[in-house]
Parts: sequence; C-alpha cells; structure tokens
Amino acid sequence: MERSNVRKIVVAGALGAVSAVMAVTPLGYLPWFGGASLTIMHIPVIIAAVLEGPLAGTAVGLVFGVTSLVRAATAPVGPLDPLFANPLVSVLPRLFIAAAAWGAFKLFRGKASPIAAGFAGAVGSIVNTVLVLLALGLVGAEQLSGLFGVDPGALPAALAALALSNGLVEAAAAAVFTSSVVSAWRGIESVRGKARLSEEED
Amino acid sequence: MKGLEFWKHVSIGRYVESDSMVHRMSPSTKYLWLLAVVLPASVSRSAVVVAAVTLLPLVLAPLARVRIRFLLRGILPVLPFVALAAAIQLLISWPNDGSLVLAAIGPVSVTAREALAVLTMGLRFVAIMTAIGLFTSVTSEGDTARGVEDLFAPLAAVGFPARPLALMIAVAFRFIPIVAGEFESVVKAQAARGADFGAGARGPIRKAKAYLPLLVPVTIRALERAEALAEAMEARCYGTGPATRYVDTAGGAADVLARIVALLWTIAALAGPAVAAAIGGGR
Repeated sequence: MERSNVRKIVVAGALGAVSAVMAVTPLGYLPWFGGASLTIMHIPVIIAAVLEGPLAGTAVGLVFGVTSLVRAATAPVGPLDPLFANPLVSVLPRLFIAAAAWGAFKLFRGKASPIAAGFAGAVGSIVNTVLVLLALGLVGAEQLSGLFGVDPGALPAALAALALSNGLVEAAAAAVFTSSVVSAWRGIESVRGKARLSEEED
Repeated sequence: MKGLEFWKHVSIGRYVESDSMVHRMSPSTKYLWLLAVVLPASVSRSAVVVAAVTLLPLVLAPLARVRIRFLLRGILPVLPFVALAAAIQLLISWPNDGSLVLAAIGPVSVTAREALAVLTMGLRFVAIMTAIGLFTSVTSEGDTARGVEDLFAPLAAVGFPARPLALMIAVAFRFIPIVAGEFESVVKAQAARGADFGAGARGPIRKAKAYLPLLVPVTIRALERAEALAEAMEARCYGTGPATRYVDTAGGAADVLARIVALLWTIAALAGPAVAAAIGGGR
C-alpha cells in the first residue's frame, strides 16, 4: 500500500513526541556502570527513517534536536548541557541520522527486514555519536578540554575514546531496539491486513 | 520505587499567558528575534558581539513582562560546571600568549586574553539560555508550530514542505502528553510484573534487552494512535486540496517593522566585526 503524505506527517509527529518525551525525562538514558549513561533518544529518529523514509526521519531528528536544545537551555543538569544549548551541537548533527539510517536500510533492498532494521539502527546511532562529538570538538574545544581535564591537543584522542566506548555500545542498543520495534510493527501491520481481507472473503 | 512519575517532569518550555506587546507579536517575528540572539551567540568570535546579544533578551524581558530573575534562575544549575571549566581554562596557559598579565600567583597567571575567552564563553551560555527561556515563555505551543510554517513560507515556493513540517510539529506537541502517559502506564504495568529494567543486568546488550518491554509497547502504541489519526484526517479529506488556516498569524505593521529590525540586527552582528576590522585595517 502506498503511504499517503498525511500518514507520513502524522507518524513523524508521533515518533517526534516519543523522542521528545525521552529527551525531557530520565527515560532517554540507560543507566550504565561507572555513572556513564547511554542515550536511546535518537532511536525514534531511526525508526521513522526506516518506516516512513528519510524526510519523515529528518523531521523527527529536527524535533529531537530542538527538544534537546531547549532542555539544555531551560533545565540544564549536566556539565555538558551548556554546550548542547548551541544549535550547532544539538540540532545540526541530528538532521543527518535519518538519511544515514535510511540508506543503510535500503542497502538490503527490502530483504531480511529485522537484520536490515538492526543495521540501520547501528549506522544511524554511529552517525549520531560521531557527528555530535565532532560538533562538540569543533564548537566547544576550549570548554571541553577544561571539563575533561586534558590538554587541548589531547582532545581528539579523548573524544575518539568516548566515541568508541559509548558509541559502539549505543549502536548495539540502537540495533536491538530498532530491529524489535520495526519487526513488531511490521508484524502487526501484516496481520491486520490479512485479517481485514479474510473478513471480506467470509 | 522512584521515577514512576514522569508526568510532572514533562515540560518543554514554560509558556506564561500574558498580554504584553511581545506576546502579541506574530510567532514568526519571535522566531526571527530568537535567531537574532542564538545565531550570533553561537558562531560569532567577537566578544563585543556576544556581549551585545547577551543584553538583548534581558532588554526584551521587561517588555514581555517576564522577570529577569525568572530567566536567570534557569542557569543556576550549570554555574558550578561553567565555573570549573573557566577555572581550568585559566590554569592552563596558552602558548605564545603575549597579552597583558592581569594577575599572577606563583606560576599561574591570568592574562587579558584568557580572561576575555572565559568571559565570552560564559556570556555565550547566558545569551542562548535566556533567549530560549524567553522565547518559550512568550510563545504558546500552537504558535510554535504556526511560526515554523510562516518562517519557511518563502521557501515553500521552491518546494520546501513548510506546511507538513508545521503540522508534524503540532502533532508532536499534541502527542507529548499522550506518550508520557503511555510511558507511565507501561512502566507501572511492567513493574507490577516484576520488571527491573536491567538494574541487575550486566553488559549493554542485556541492559538494552531489559528495556525492550518498555520501549517497544510505547512506540507501537504511538504508531497505532498515529495511524488512527491519519485515517481520521484522510476521511476528512486533509491534503487533497488547498487548506486554509483557522488562526491568522500574519501580524500587522509593527510585526513587519520588528522583523526587519531583527534581520538587520542579525546581519550587523554577524558581519559587523569583519566590517570593523576592514575599516580598521584600511586606515
């Protein structure tokens, strides 16, 4: 069935709301050992990209980015929040998650849907991590080296370590979540379609 | 068990109903003024420009009948971190710093350049945070979505989906309380069945799997509601022809003037330092 424009808009809005709720409550973070937390707020963006295409996904990415911008600016809690009050860090990188995830999903040409969705989740998550850290490094190099207590020259190494440790784990988590949600939703949709048709035939 | 009441944490912005002249401005005008602060504050390298845009929200706040203390209070929680960053910034001396030494205690010295850098960094935070705080206190949720459509209306001529974007933002706002409610009921239902959401699990994959019984139902229920809403809108022929708007947000002459001033301000703030340097260099 061809997806109508209205459907795309409304589904993007609903997933944007899921992302926004995660961003403003503790739900968006998986507590992990060592006080570090993994973010799962970008997963609705990837799900929107897989289900409704790159434009809808980018719109959800915009909502996610703006929500994290507003939250960092109006209710900051962590040491990095002042940096996220900058739209170059909080909004701009998030606009590219959907295109990357959608491209990864399309590589499978519609085959092996759960694996394709998981792969899209991992790719989208890695793009998010890399671009956000890149923006952080470019925009807030001075403050960051102060926060981490490292020399400005050692900052790229510190950011790369963060990308590897947190980023890979986040990518794995994103793969699990995207794959589960997409296959659950596709399952519901196909079952519904069958049920409707069988009712018609009876 | 703590952390079950997400409801009270869910507030994006904090709209304050009032009838000030800033409240009466059209949403797109407010967006332009927001950009006039946030854009120079985040990209400008000039301390003078950053200081000037920091003053802007504080000047506009009394006009909007928003107390300045209310805006500044939002910054309090991050002050310790900013102070720490500033302190370390001051401790690490820059190579080839030939500027005036303001103070020196033993090997640690504070130069004019370092002090200026720290001051600019702090002002950037204050400018962006107060500007967004002010914007969200004078703009209602509906206006936030309508403003997006107005703002991107010029781009709609070249095919930019301004109206779908505005509709999508309006839907997101409408869904936020619903999704928050869903999260709360699913968390409570799973907790009643003994779910601990991975509190004892080790390893990131297991941790993520423990969150699946929360994330999957909430997302699926949001998608189901979206399908129902889309069906209802299609049944009413949304998107089949030209649509009109219920609320008119075009604004009057004062709005047009305010928009022009905002644009001029932004251009001046971004291009000003370069122009000043060119004039200074030409002498």
